[in-house]
Amino acid sequence: MRYSATVVDHFLNPRNAGMMQAPDGVGEDEYEGCGDLTRFFLRVRDGRAVEVRFQTYGCGPTIAAASVASELARGRAVEELSQVKAGEIEAALDGLPDDRRHAAEVAAAALRAAALAARARKG
Amino acid sequence: MTRRVYLDHNASTPVHPEVLAEMLPYFSGAYGNPSSIHAFGREAREAVDLARERVAQFLGATPGEIVFTSGGTESDNFGIKGLAFARGRGHLITSKVEHHAVLRTCQALEDLGFAVTYVGVDGHGMVDPDEVRRALRPDTIAVSIMHANSEVGTIQPIEAIGRLTRERGIPLHVDAVQTLGKIPFDVHALGIDALSFSGHKIYGPKGVAGLFIRKSTRMVSIQHGGEHERRRRAGTENVPGIVGLGKAVEIRAREMAAEAGRLTALRTRLTEGIQGRVPEVRLSGHPVERLPGTASVLVRNVESESLVLGLDLKGIGVSAGSACTAGNVEPSHVLVAMGVPLDWAMGSVRCSLGRSTSAEDVDYVVESFEAVVRKLRAALRVGAA
Repeated sequence: MRYSATVVDHFLNPRNAGMMQAPDGVGEDEYEGCGDLTRFFLRVRDGRAVEVRFQTYGCGPTIAAASVASELARGRAVEELSQVKAGEIEAALDGLPDDRRHAAEVAAAALRAAALAARARKG
Repeated sequence: MTRRVYLDHNASTPVHPEVLAEMLPYFSGAYGNPSSIHAFGREAREAVDLARERVAQFLGATPGEIVFTSGGTESDNFGIKGLAFARGRGHLITSKVEHHAVLRTCQALEDLGFAVTYVGVDGHGMVDPDEVRRALRPDTIAVSIMHANSEVGTIQPIEAIGRLTRERGIPLHVDAVQTLGKIPFDVHALGIDALSFSGHKIYGPKGVAGLFIRKSTRMVSIQHGGEHERRRRAGTENVPGIVGLGKAVEIRAREMAAEAGRLTALRTRLTEGIQGRVPEVRLSGHPVERLPGTASVLVRNVESESLVLGLDLKGIGVSAGSACTAGNVEPSHVLVAMGVPLDWAMGSVRCSLGRSTSAEDVDYVVESFEAVVRKLRAALRVGAA
């Protein structure tokens, strides 16, 4: 298997997948040329993401990256999430093959977009 | 332990036990060089000659018309470049749904100054012989059309195309890597002048293939060196491989007809099973003119690689029609040429059945297919925000 056990686990058992009613922030990102698309929904209380959900269309690693990102985002400050990096998501997946790094980038960009949307709404 | 089901026979096949048994003595027993005149060499030569006779008989050709190569890709390069270089310059016709071994060879010829027309296909992936006729020019020097498409399984109207080329004295090359040993045909009846075939698609070993070159067809070598293969393809013969290819062909001659019927029934069981249980699924390729064991399934709004991965984790080997390489998606050029909309083409999966495939395997794949697609669609599909 070319993917880590963590990638396979999140692909098979995605956490926090699905839509959210009345979210405080929604953000998405599409990886140009690849068609992979991820969308995050955030519920924010006191500047922190208390609930995170996602939808995605993409290859296995893209699904896994969105899933792991939803876990590591929960409880974090929106301010911090607006600057989340792909490297953190990739590390949480115990690595990605070189040709699948974009999976973490899509998840990070979508999460940042959702955080920025939540911040703008608040402001 | 997870059940393992291999449905990727168009990619490669396991070596048939009888093939392996026939090959083994030629690794360390009869290891001579067929070009050597001593007894060791003669032993190897006889084995190569027998394989050549078996292949020739199967194709309706003579042994002198068969050249062994290292693989289907080499055969395609040899067939097309050999015809083109023998004529120096001019125009070639091929189709948009060829294997990359043909498409990229033609593109390389364009870089060298040859002109190439890539004819399209209809929604079933079929070339229209009339379009080939319209593409013919006074300076057309060769036509190369595949016999059957590896991805969607459509069998091309080679006989009609062969009539056109034969009438005009233009050589016809056919990539038959996916049809040799799967459907019956005769190179002369189809009007073929050069034909590529390969061993590992028909339960022979990898690294051995061949090219039929009709007698007196003008063709130059693309690999130079010794005087092997009647000076047409230099390089010491892959004796064990050639022996294996010859045996594989001999076995196909006796098993092909019965297996084609069995695989057609299993393929129908598979596609009807999937269509009956999974919504928004359709089949691609020609409904009738198709390879017995090849099913191309399009699953709307599911990304094919995630489907392949999900099935892989259930022990099932199928292949994705579209490939994502380094973040660049490449929807299959075959489906694009067929005009399949992107939301369907992105979810294309090919299941290719073979000798070992059983009805139980097919039922397990149907059941797993439904479960994986349901999971991918349920929570993950991006709907309208």
